[in-house]
Amino acid sequence: MPDASGGGRPAPDPRPIGAGYCMDGKLILEARDVSKRFGGATALDGVSLGVERGRILGLAGENGAGKSTLIKILCGVHRADSGSLELDGRPYRPRGPEDAERRGLSVFHQEIPVCPHLSIAANVFLGPFMPRRGLGPDWRRMNEECRGLYRDLLGEEIDPSRLVGDCTAAETQLALLVRVLSRNASLVVLDEPTTALTPPEVERLFAILRRLRDRGVSFVFVSHMLEELTSLSDRIAVLRDGRLVGELAEGEFDSRRLSSLIAGRAVEGGSPRSAPPPGEPFLEARGIGNGRSFSGLSFSLRAGGILGVAGLAGSGRSDLARSLFGSPPLSEGVLAIDGAARSLRSPADAIALGIGFVPEDRKADGLFHKLDVKLNLCMAGLERFSGGIALREDRLRREAEAAAAAVRVKMAGPDAAIGSLSGGNQQKVLIARWLALRPRLIVMSEPTRGVDVGAKQEILEMILGLSAEGCAFIIASSEIEELLALSDEILVLNRGRRAAILPRAEATKESVLLAATT
Amino acid sequence: MGNANASRGGVAAFKRLFGFRDFGVVAAALLIAAFFSLTSPVFLTAYNFFNLLRQTAGLGIVAMAMTVLIVSGEFDLSVGAIYAVTGVVTGLATKSLGLNIWLSAVLGLSSAMLLGLLNGLLVTLTKINSFIATLATQMVYRGIAMVLSQGQPVSNFDEDPFYSILGRSEVFGLVPVQILWLLASGLVLFAALHRTTFGVRVYASGDNRDAAELAGIKTARVKRACFLVTAAAAGLASLVSLGYLKTVTPTQGTNLELEAIAAAVIGGTSMSGGIGSIVGTFIGTFIMAEVRTGLVLLGTDAYVQDAFVGLVIALAVIVNVKVSGRKAI
Repeated sequence: MPDASGGGRPAPDPRPIGAGYCMDGKLILEARDVSKRFGGATALDGVSLGVERGRILGLAGENGAGKSTLIKILCGVHRADSGSLELDGRPYRPRGPEDAERRGLSVFHQEIPVCPHLSIAANVFLGPFMPRRGLGPDWRRMNEECRGLYRDLLGEEIDPSRLVGDCTAAETQLALLVRVLSRNASLVVLDEPTTALTPPEVERLFAILRRLRDRGVSFVFVSHMLEELTSLSDRIAVLRDGRLVGELAEGEFDSRRLSSLIAGRAVEGGSPRSAPPPGEPFLEARGIGNGRSFSGLSFSLRAGGILGVAGLAGSGRSDLARSLFGSPPLSEGVLAIDGAARSLRSPADAIALGIGFVPEDRKADGLFHKLDVKLNLCMAGLERFSGGIALREDRLRREAEAAAAAVRVKMAGPDAAIGSLSGGNQQKVLIARWLALRPRLIVMSEPTRGVDVGAKQEILEMILGLSAEGCAFIIASSEIEELLALSDEILVLNRGRRAAILPRAEATKESVLLAATT
Repeated sequence: MGNANASRGGVAAFKRLFGFRDFGVVAAALLIAAFFSLTSPVFLTAYNFFNLLRQTAGLGIVAMAMTVLIVSGEFDLSVGAIYAVTGVVTGLATKSLGLNIWLSAVLGLSSAMLLGLLNGLLVTLTKINSFIATLATQMVYRGIAMVLSQGQPVSNFDEDPFYSILGRSEVFGLVPVQILWLLASGLVLFAALHRTTFGVRVYASGDNRDAAELAGIKTARVKRACFLVTAAAAGLASLVSLGYLKTVTPTQGTNLELEAIAAAVIGGTSMSGGIGSIVGTFIGTFIMAEVRTGLVLLGTDAYVQDAFVGLVIALAVIVNVKVSGRKAI
């Protein structure tokens, strides 16, 4: 990192970062024929690829395709069984993440390690090189240098004394980006950096990444979102079953081609959903609100109907989904089911009325990480397993096996740890949890977040199949394509208010976006 | 993934083969027993074995109940004080009020459960961390025991079959009756935690409270029930002690909570909730007792024993983490 202290320098006049590399198309990282086996399973099979200096390489692939293994080899968590790596023209065999960082390669994970009770500046400088005055840290100098780094690297003005715990996920990420760049990172691996970000935050992050790229920093960008990959990358490499199955140069980007490379087959673009089901609505919401993030919402739903809920982050989309499950309860308006007004004071009330819920944050609000797959499958409506006092374990096992088979959960067995399942299969478990209760309505938030392309398609098909059997859905999602593929109607929220309710025929990506953002 | 998973899979298969998950603790208990059997000829005798279990019965009852509470994601530092209150209330009821000892015992047990209910309400209604909440109630409850008894022991009770049934008889002239109370409590708690839907709710509440709520489990209710169970166990343990000693003191049960937590941890219970078993804690209690007894037989003094038990706790946790492949206890 060239001199960044003082910080008086304004944003323009970009100088190269990372020891002043010129962008000569040379490779900063080159992997040749890298293979890795775990026991009997081949995770990587002769992968060769290169990252050009000052470029962004997109890395695509389903869960289990070998992306994580490759990343772990790059940052030294795993060692390759065979093949070679070169960083900056020199052989590269990192002994661990610290060693990799010393060589100029940093990895961003999905879970970001920060100290939430320390300021942005302290998080940026944390470590042996923290500026000191006497025995204590030199806060003034740190704040100044931090402000300078933000201005120089990101072109942004910030208050470096804010606590990281008060920052949004996006701001936290930027702090870590500044942190690694200030330590001479010349290649940054971004492992799904956008999962916790809203669309405007993603745009902002991308603008910053492009700016850094133009100044010579190289990136490997891993994402499930095809639009993100095509919009940010200079080149996209696709892994499948541990092999490199294709590389697309910038002119060749095409979502359909990319998704067929990833999945190994062409994924349907359109939706098989036909006309909405006939019949009278069984659920009616009249002017409902939670007294905080949304209010005055009215809509109705027929048996087997699918209502999509769109809106930007903070529009009340996620809160509406939770409140329809009584967690926390609605505070305004009337929710009528079969013509009778119902108050859902807790999830237990909602379940008693035949409502199921699949939360947005699978890890935090859905899964029991220390319990096995069968208990995770059967956790809702446990009463049905108590014959008198004793737990009917035979029945629990039988139902778990049936539920797993019904949604095609790939697992070693009902006693497997839930953590051994892929994201897509975990999501299927959370949906299957409700099926034995024969719900009339399942409320879902972000039904395919963090799920690979193949599993995503399966989950969408599952939702359509269940709705054909009469189960209604309310689906809150930030992915408009997904809502368009599923919904009979889309309720668009804007700052907690109903901006539009678009029937299937009128809903397009443009009309939804327009209603959500104006 | 990979090698780590393969070996973990091997351990899992092994555990399934033997039908229970507490293999590590049992192996440790057997190893320690083997060591002391070699160093002391008296160690491996029926007399020593029963004596060891008799001494540890009260702790075992409390520790196993505490395991249920810890699995639910809470714990209770006031069990020692509840143990004292139960004894003092029972003793005073029969001694000062002249009530029948059985009726007094019911009164004592009820007061224990009332205090457990208070713990549960305090923790679930205010959402205070149970460490802080029960640290506070521990002092309050100990104070109650002191005030009621004016700091004096209560003894010289009238003769009654109560004492032999709770703590003084030997079944078949061989097995001290405390051991039966220990085993009976163990069976009841085992069934409750491992063989009922209530048990599943306990595990779910401790593993991921938010997810449990969203699955329709009323976690506050589950946790309150666990506080109640723990307090009732402290009450029962106190009555067993009263039966054996025929005396109660307001200071009895000091540090009982820490020993109970230690036994649970040695037995593989996770302090963050969601992991633990009754069999594990039973063996954990047994390990603590066999280390103490073994050291006595070796002729070491009492201070050294405490230090050794501390070492055993640390060792047990390290081994458990390694064997189970878990991140932390």
